[in-house]
Amino acid sequence: MSDDELDERIREAARAYNAPPETPREEMWARITAARQRGGGAAGQRDSRVLPFRRRWVPWAAAAAAILAVGVGIGRVSVEPESSVWEGPSANATTYRLAAQEHLSQSEAFLTLFRTSLEERTDHRLASASARQLLATSRLLLDSPAATDRAMRLLLEDLELVLAEIAQLSPRSREEDLQLIRDGIERGNMMPRLRTAVPSGAALTQGVL
Amino acid sequence: MSHVQAIDPYAPEPVSDAELIERVLAGDPSAERALYDAHVDRVFRLVYRMAGDLDRAQDWVQETFIRAFQKLGDFRGDSALSTWLCSIAVSVSLNGLRKVKRFREREVALDDAPPMGFTPREADPDLKTRLADAIDGLPDGYRTVFVMHDVEGFTHEEIGRTLGVQPGTSKAQLFRARARLRHVLADFARDRDR
Repeated sequence: MSDDELDERIREAARAYNAPPETPREEMWARITAARQRGGGAAGQRDSRVLPFRRRWVPWAAAAAAILAVGVGIGRVSVEPESSVWEGPSANATTYRLAAQEHLSQSEAFLTLFRTSLEERTDHRLASASARQLLATSRLLLDSPAATDRAMRLLLEDLELVLAEIAQLSPRSREEDLQLIRDGIERGNMMPRLRTAVPSGAALTQGVL
Repeated sequence: MSHVQAIDPYAPEPVSDAELIERVLAGDPSAERALYDAHVDRVFRLVYRMAGDLDRAQDWVQETFIRAFQKLGDFRGDSALSTWLCSIAVSVSLNGLRKVKRFREREVALDDAPPMGFTPREADPDLKTRLADAIDGLPDGYRTVFVMHDVEGFTHEEIGRTLGVQPGTSKAQLFRARARLRHVLADFARDRDR
């Protein structure tokens, strides 16, 4: 077979190379629209095949971004201004309450997602990363001078324990570790308490899941 | 059998790319959708050929259009809009492929696993399968030009504008890509001669 003949055979066979299916036009448009509404363009930057838990990164990443934003906000609340005009205790308490509610709302969304991922036996590395961020926010809230509400403190302390356990998860974690976390969430009535602590409509995280 | 195409009197008039761009920049959402509809098939075909995986292709097409909408104000009209979109698509795809390769290399190093091909294929492949493996094994530049020219039918001028190279460079890359493929598939040609 001459080079030309082989080239011709190659060209013919190459038409079947990664032959594309019909364009999933509507599905992609929906995702583009959603990503643009979220103000992000990074949805396609991470390769879904790279991670074993395909397509799971979108809610985790969105949750993590939102958590980070809340953490920054709480950090500002927690730091006493050095020379600014004193606004009085009520302004600080209100800001703290709003930040705490936002954090609890984030935590509820995160734990809901995490419990689902437990069912699906997916990789927990991203969950662990998100838990670390939430954990930092929980500790900021607990350490804040505005943290005077006893019920809120108890809830944050219980949440801190659960988040610390999730944060320590690794690919080598065993089923027993997951069961401990599951028990921790169930035993402390974590989900109902979180939902009760967050007034309906207060969740700024709607859509994260 | 007649091949005369029926004309729909209610069908919207075709809109030029320039007009669409103007409307998109003015914030018209229907124009965004029209622009997407006009170009998504070509972009998707190209990206899918590069990705070889539906999830990945969808992610990269999505990324392509998001970037395009973000940068549309910078589009100067020096080339066709489709060429501009394809250049973004190729850039997104090559970046994505590099990440996949890096990840796999790291994964293999960590797991001490035996080397694996780009895409798993059968043990006793026919020409198409062996060719696919050989194309996967080409360097990115050769593979891109080969896919665009021999698989998707782009001209060297279009490839040059898309990749920002001279048409002659595209021709040279294609020549080398074909030579490599011939080399890899030489035993197939010998078998056929027997």
